[in-house]
Amino acid sequence: MKRRAYLRTAGAGVLGLATAGCLEIGGGGPSGPLTVATYDSFFGDEGTAGRWLKDEWEADHDVDIEFTAPSNGINEFIQRKKQGADIEADLFVGLNTGELVRVDEQLPDQDLFDSLGDVAGTNNIKESLRIDPQNRALPYDTGYITLVYDGTEVENPSTFEALLEPEYEGTLLAQNAQSSDPGRAFLLWTVHEFGPEGYLDYWEGLVENDVRVLDDWQPSYDAFLNDERPIVVSYSTDQVYYNDEDEIPHHQVGFLDDQGYANPETVARFADADRSETAAEFVEFVLTDEAQRNVAVNNVQFPATTTAELPEEYAQYAYEPPEPVTFTYDELAGNVEEWTESWAQQVASN
Amino acid sequence: MGTAGREQLTAAADRLGLTATVERLGLRAAGVLTLLVLGVVFYYPVWSVFAEAFGSAAAPVRAVLTSEFYLGAAHGLFTDPLGVPGDVLAWLASVRVHAAWTGLLPDVWVTYPRLRKGLFGFTTYQAALSTLASVVLGLPGAYVLARFEFPGRRTLKALTILPFVLPSIMVVVGFVATFGQFGTVNDLLAALGIGRVQMLYTLELVVLAHAFYNAPLVTRMVGTAWENVDASAVETARSLGANPLRAFRDVVAPQLLPALAASAVLTFVFTFMTFPIVLALGGLQLATVEVWLYARVQQLDYETAAALATLETLFSLTLTYVYLRYEARRAASGTNNPLPRSRLFDAETAREWFVRAGIGVYGVVVAFVFLAPLASMVLASFGGAADPTLEWWRFLVERQSGSRTQPSTAVWNSLVFGVGALALALPMGVVVAAFSARGGRGRKVVDAVLMAPIAVSGIVVGFGMLQSLVFGVELFGTRVSVVGPAVVVAAHAVAGYPFVVRNVAPMLSAVDSRLVESARALGASRGRALWDVELPLVWPGVLAGAAFAFAISIGEFDATVLLASDGAYTMPVALKRYLVDRTAGPSVGPAAAMGTVLLVVTAASFVVIDRVGGRYRP
Repeated sequence: MKRRAYLRTAGAGVLGLATAGCLEIGGGGPSGPLTVATYDSFFGDEGTAGRWLKDEWEADHDVDIEFTAPSNGINEFIQRKKQGADIEADLFVGLNTGELVRVDEQLPDQDLFDSLGDVAGTNNIKESLRIDPQNRALPYDTGYITLVYDGTEVENPSTFEALLEPEYEGTLLAQNAQSSDPGRAFLLWTVHEFGPEGYLDYWEGLVENDVRVLDDWQPSYDAFLNDERPIVVSYSTDQVYYNDEDEIPHHQVGFLDDQGYANPETVARFADADRSETAAEFVEFVLTDEAQRNVAVNNVQFPATTTAELPEEYAQYAYEPPEPVTFTYDELAGNVEEWTESWAQQVASN
Repeated sequence: MGTAGREQLTAAADRLGLTATVERLGLRAAGVLTLLVLGVVFYYPVWSVFAEAFGSAAAPVRAVLTSEFYLGAAHGLFTDPLGVPGDVLAWLASVRVHAAWTGLLPDVWVTYPRLRKGLFGFTTYQAALSTLASVVLGLPGAYVLARFEFPGRRTLKALTILPFVLPSIMVVVGFVATFGQFGTVNDLLAALGIGRVQMLYTLELVVLAHAFYNAPLVTRMVGTAWENVDASAVETARSLGANPLRAFRDVVAPQLLPALAASAVLTFVFTFMTFPIVLALGGLQLATVEVWLYARVQQLDYETAAALATLETLFSLTLTYVYLRYEARRAASGTNNPLPRSRLFDAETAREWFVRAGIGVYGVVVAFVFLAPLASMVLASFGGAADPTLEWWRFLVERQSGSRTQPSTAVWNSLVFGVGALALALPMGVVVAAFSARGGRGRKVVDAVLMAPIAVSGIVVGFGMLQSLVFGVELFGTRVSVVGPAVVVAAHAVAGYPFVVRNVAPMLSAVDSRLVESARALGASRGRALWDVELPLVWPGVLAGAAFAFAISIGEFDATVLLASDGAYTMPVALKRYLVDRTAGPSVGPAAAMGTVLLVVTAASFVVIDRVGGRYRP
């Protein structure tokens, strides 16, 4: 029933993007288009990374690209695999480390993805972004989770500890780590900082200092824009959107302890792909310097390769943290679910 | 309906060949068909979810019941039942009543040790508060609509359904624009020199939003009961010397109470299963069972999700059963002799002026609570008062040419699905109502089961449908899956038909059974008697149910987004897509514009159904 309807948002690891898609059954078949499953905002409109890739690719190739955005993201394919239903997509674009861990934990005896093998351009990928020990998922861009604050309202907290000070009471907006990418990244960042034994204590402090944990990036960022609160967990590329002289003071990027949590986005090929050859070629194309530059800019992220260059004005507004941190696949495996659930129970029971 | 009218209708039906069809198929066949549809798009999917909860000796259910996080202090009932009396006594013993004298008045307060509510306890608590708020806000409306005559009364009554069909995301936008830090209310407070107040993320605001959704339900249900009070009973009481208050207490109130209780129980069930409102206006700190259930599904922890769903459903089914029991006692018969309505803008005595002043105050409150969020949304589509612009409407027009989400397609799809859902839900609802009105042993249980779509969480239904229908089921070696508009229409119909039943069944059971018996004695089949005799008599109920079913289909989001193929997007789906459309910049403008279109289409179609229906009303 409508009134209970929930607007599902699924895996949006990109600035400005929480997505809700629509189920679509792709064309499939070796003669059909290359079907790419991703999140809605990757391709939904003009000027997105997906549109750029599609236009450029189709200009040179016989095979068309068809995008599809299942409303529950990677979960859709995990469920399909479990139930023995068809997977009509060839590639999944937008997989992050936590999701890859979930794929492997949910499907211990099956292969949802296979290895792309030797794809030209993989040598250029930044080592720090490689998330998959089995080399199935290849990074194509990355973002950094950080705080964005309104400089006219508060000072840069600069450290994790500062957020517990009375000065920052009732100032922070975070997201639900169970349903939101930046939310989970921020949670993992605190686990990284305080350790699995200490992060819950830190969060107890945050809750006491009246942090507000909203459902996803979109509502929390809207609340930030509406002046509900002056600090929000967001992306270090925020000023790419807000670079007017009068906007910049309201959109300051604040790295805590000079860190930022890296959230690489990867592409992986479905083991059942009908067009596995073409899929590999497409990934190769995504890793070319020109594609890397355009994907990064259109997706408001940083490129995954060392060779791609960003336009100068872009680099001016997109900040990289002095010390990027992240958890590896092995560190998350067997832990991420428990960390998330314990965190959620603590926040919800307060 | 007069004899002439009935003949007209019968003739019309005969022309359409409907009478013959209904008669041939018979009520029984229609019942079987209804069950079949329900089985495929509701019971089977939901069962596929619940089955998980009973894996390995119901371990998931037991895990939830014995967890302090889920049940709070009540988990002791399951972990250590023998210790419960002792614990309760110990708790009671530590309750302290303090009394003091402030100089003018005695001051009494109670202190007691904190009692952990747990997730279920908190959910119950907020649902109880929400129900109370809905009744307080809705009840005076029933009085005004039933007892006063004023221009636009009928339309106003028709619009009481509107909150039901507004996408919650839109309502959230409206509430934020109204109650946010720089919303209408705070602007007003600041202008008055009082200063800004933080209202978002509080339980109070969540409760108010629930009242926004459910007070109209109270108004509608109690108002209808009030209109059906037989004036002659009141006149009799008055002639026997009862003063107006006494007549109200002894004659009118007993007839309103069941409707009031029924609407309160429904509100409780709805707010118990609330979800997006809590997340958006309260955050994870105010999480309800449904919020948690969704999170468990997200983590693919189906066992816990299924256990929560099972417990939640048992709870709400029990309440639905209670609701149905109340409804049986509800004197819902249409009366030919309703209480006369006074003219609202016409008063003579001081008492009448006083009553009207009270209504005026209530009107202001209602106008604020219901209009402010909607007006804020419409305003946002024009860029707000400070910075008026047509940009977002231009955006919609631009999207019309070659975009993935075209506004007119969304409107068209919504209307087509709405008509489809109506065509399915109406017969289903009438058939179920006919069985329900028949009475007999076990009827209430059957009713509760048939009414289950109201009681089962939207997430469970959507999730179950996805798993079973969309992913497909292995049948005779081939995988059968249902996608596209057909399954969307079926899902909408399942969501809508309980409202048809609820509108029709009470009126149907009030139809004089002698009429049906005469028809049967004259050789009419049961189906024919229903079509020729009963339906014309309960036509207003059928129309009200139709309006509900249509409106619910228009506003449905969850199942639609899960089940529909990419091109089959509806207005709420388009609205959500525009909300995250960053090419328009970070603004609610595009979504607000689409929301305004949705609002206009819904309100218009609703009033049309109600008006058209009015002409055929007996």
